[in-house]
Amino acid sequence: MTRGGLTRLVFAALAGLLAARPATGTEPWAERVVTRHVEQASLAGRLERDALARLRAAGAHLFTGRFTALDGVGRPLATQAIIPTKRKRPPETAFSRTSGMDSNACSSCHNQPVTGGAGDFVANVFVSEGFESFDFDSTDPQFSNERGTNHLFGAGLIELLAREITAELKAIRGDALAEARATGAPATRALAAKGIDYGTITAHPDGMLDLTGIEGVDADLTVRPFSQKGVMTSLRQFTVNALNHHHGMQPQERFGTRWTGERDHDGDGHDDEISVGDVSALVAWQAGLPAPVRAVPEEAAWRAAAARGETTFAAIGCETCHKPFLPLASLDFADPGPDDMAGTLRTGDVEKGAIYDLALLEWTKRLPRNDKGEIMVPLFGDLKRHRIADRQVAVLGNELLAQRFVERNVFMTAELWGVGSTDPYGHRNDLPSLDVVIRAHGGDARAARDNYLALGETERSALIAFLKTLVIEPARVTP
Amino acid sequence: MTARSHPILRLARRAAIAAAFWPAPLSADEALRDPTGDVPVMEEQARAAGLVHAYRGPWEFFVGGGAAALDCDGDRLPDLFVAGGREPARLYRNRSTAGGALRFDETPLGLDPDDLDKVLGAYPLDIDDDGHQDLVVLRLGENLILKGRPDCAFEKANRAFAFDGGRAWTTAFAASWEEGRRFPTLAFGNYVDRNAPGSPWGTCHDNRLHRPGAGPRPDYAAASALRPGYCALSMLFTDWNRSGTPALRITNDRHYYRGGQEQLWRVEPDRPPRAYRKSEGWQHLTIWGMGIAEGDLDGDGFPEYALTSMGDTKLQKLSEEADEDEPAYVDIAFEKGATAHRPYASDDLKPSTGWHSEFADLNNDGLLDLFIAKGNVERMPDFAAVDPDNLLLGQWDGTFVEAGHLAGIDRPTKGRGAVVTDFNADGMLDLAVVNREQNLSLFRNRGARTAFGTRPMGNFLAVELSQPAPNRHAVGALISVKAGNNTYSRTVQVGGGHASGHAGFVHVGLGTAERAQVRIKWPDGEWSAPYRVFANNFVLIAREADAARYWYPPEAPHADTARRKDGDSWKAGSAR
Repeated sequence: MTRGGLTRLVFAALAGLLAARPATGTEPWAERVVTRHVEQASLAGRLERDALARLRAAGAHLFTGRFTALDGVGRPLATQAIIPTKRKRPPETAFSRTSGMDSNACSSCHNQPVTGGAGDFVANVFVSEGFESFDFDSTDPQFSNERGTNHLFGAGLIELLAREITAELKAIRGDALAEARATGAPATRALAAKGIDYGTITAHPDGMLDLTGIEGVDADLTVRPFSQKGVMTSLRQFTVNALNHHHGMQPQERFGTRWTGERDHDGDGHDDEISVGDVSALVAWQAGLPAPVRAVPEEAAWRAAAARGETTFAAIGCETCHKPFLPLASLDFADPGPDDMAGTLRTGDVEKGAIYDLALLEWTKRLPRNDKGEIMVPLFGDLKRHRIADRQVAVLGNELLAQRFVERNVFMTAELWGVGSTDPYGHRNDLPSLDVVIRAHGGDARAARDNYLALGETERSALIAFLKTLVIEPARVTP
Repeated sequence: MTARSHPILRLARRAAIAAAFWPAPLSADEALRDPTGDVPVMEEQARAAGLVHAYRGPWEFFVGGGAAALDCDGDRLPDLFVAGGREPARLYRNRSTAGGALRFDETPLGLDPDDLDKVLGAYPLDIDDDGHQDLVVLRLGENLILKGRPDCAFEKANRAFAFDGGRAWTTAFAASWEEGRRFPTLAFGNYVDRNAPGSPWGTCHDNRLHRPGAGPRPDYAAASALRPGYCALSMLFTDWNRSGTPALRITNDRHYYRGGQEQLWRVEPDRPPRAYRKSEGWQHLTIWGMGIAEGDLDGDGFPEYALTSMGDTKLQKLSEEADEDEPAYVDIAFEKGATAHRPYASDDLKPSTGWHSEFADLNNDGLLDLFIAKGNVERMPDFAAVDPDNLLLGQWDGTFVEAGHLAGIDRPTKGRGAVVTDFNADGMLDLAVVNREQNLSLFRNRGARTAFGTRPMGNFLAVELSQPAPNRHAVGALISVKAGNNTYSRTVQVGGGHASGHAGFVHVGLGTAERAQVRIKWPDGEWSAPYRVFANNFVLIAREADAARYWYPPEAPHADTARRKDGDSWKAGSAR
């Protein structure tokens, strides 16, 4: 669907049914995207098919709309920081390609191959904490980490998987603590969930926890599946962050009166720019984006090569991290979710949260299920962080700054679904082919990478043939 | 002696008259603007929790009425020792579970009943560095050091520690590990010397400073007088100028002294203590000083002090015009809306009577709030008879807004001492207030008030420190928590408030920060490396440790199901 078609559909859906409150300047020609705020109060319980569709349409409108001055785009007196942070004086220019704000719309970057997708190198973003050194006019990595734009297809399933894993890990922790307290002896448990090994924890009878054995997950055992680094908990959190960082559109739920004492924290003359309901709409739209698919090539030779390549993919160890499937118990996407913290809407912040039943979306009916009835999410990932560079193979170790306690050479395993549609590759988006990015794998992936290099040209080609079948299928991308 | 006939009333009347002629700070109505952030719902649960106890007694017990919160059974939950005045002091073991209802069981102390009589207050600290918190018990008569043993057992250690508890009317206490000392220096603040001629007017007792001997065991045989005493009601060792050597701040009750004032004593290692003089910058201030709270409100590294009194509370900030090492303070209570000078929940214009004061972040928004216990001395007609406790919520513009009535602590009690701590390890600070002649109040913090009940508040961090002896619990250490551009400072202290103190985790509200870096300035002045910790956790930081260690509170027996459903059932995020 073209952007124009999508927009028309969105406006049609918005025309009446959502409970909404008007913003000022609602003339049809008004230069603004946010003409009506979505009311969070209307989002409680399990949304029916039509209500979900309307909400997602509102989300699509916000995702694709290029925010304007009337909307409150810009943050002259606030930095890009995740924690609301004031700046003393406005920047010389509202837009900055480096420190932001750096785009008017989410879809300005998330557009490859279609809206909601990844971004080309030109759409890279520059990640800095945004506290002391929030202004920088250099792409030098000593100031920021340059990152490619990830696609969002299947993101709802990713978040649901992360939530289920997090709940399992915390249950293991609770069990270990309970056992240690009951027996008076230390209790060590494997932190394993959905076949992913996150190491071990040891609980002591006094309630102390030995976390030195954990692997690839934060010390609070919350799987944060989003961002190249795996440091963002939820679509909601990322959305709130990004609206401020990239557009200077400040969501009320973090930058509003409750946490800043102000309705216009960024000092641009616009109060409460993005409502709680607006964020929910954005979350619903993103969470419902179809999962990438496995394309079946028309050419027999490609089909054959892809089949061989898939076998090779497993044989040389790629599947150790790029797990083809992870089982998911439920398609109920609760919003707000269970793992967010203050500053992002939490379960307890609302009287009754909403459930976006992803099973209402046609594309989820095509997802495979295992014999337990669980959805087998074909993500080719493990929702775990790994060291991805070493002394000999250091291409992916090109960052200088740790992010949110995660060391510079450690990244979340990139999910490979959609990889055939989202080149270039690497967290800096600067590796121009699959072959190049595979060769760049070091650290924990070094053995698999070396195995790849040891393959003959034909086998390597077959593996690429396989990966190229993992696509975001435009025909199935519907809002 | 009845309250009506007592001289305290006559002076109080004068105080009330003085208060009436003050340029009115914020009127009660003006002060009651709505806070912008969360208002914690403080649910009173004392009796339901098993706390049936009142602080009672005649004139000598008009003051005092303190409590000490400490972990005496090793479960890291704060247990509660409460003064009783003419009633016996009692110890309550905390049986709460993570995020659950507050529950306490009285635990026999096994001490001579006479020792538990006439208790005015108590402070916890580990004097002998054996890892168990001891109790310093302030009494009308001999003060006690109760040595902590495992499983909430205590034994009187006055003789073992060569500690002469004296015979004074003791109303204040503070402790500090001085440089080069193996054990803490103990300061006792005394009130009126009832045996002196002319008592009670102008007959304030000397205060006492007990410095430990150099031997391998606590030996407090050597004691010196802090003279003159001006009827201390609270004292606190405080590193007011960040010199690394705390001074002793004492707030005094002007009812009884003559020619007295507030005091700040230099207490330098191996030198006799000496009060700061006017020539050194200390300014003459006379108030009905009742309680001291310390907090770094503006993040400049230098603490501010809230001093409760009859009438307005003082909020002191180091003067910007003060020379280095000059303890010259300005009062910012008026501009910050923190005078709390009369009741906020009625039309009563009579002045308040403030007692315990404590800075803490009760709504976890990252801003320090100020709790003040209030209550008429007894039946003083010129002071508010119904005088509810204050909860002054810190605002983003640096001011405070009264929220006691919104939070539910505006009860018609006569508050005295108090403890602000997290009794059920849910990351939200609870509140115990010792009331005169009425049952103590125990407020469970249920989260932020909403139209549909409560909701979780901001993120938090709870930090406990340890280091090799001496001073295993790092009294005097500065905990510096950095999240984004914000730095939150807390100091591990023994003293202050009103006859009340607490040990254990130090609570920091983090607002929207999900993680933080913690650095410790250990008592000897050495800074630690930064420790990276996730919010909404209880962490223990041991000196020289590579990483902070996480502690998880005990859960209710059937919490497993809830935990699987909701993740961390204990944490502030599940406040509902």
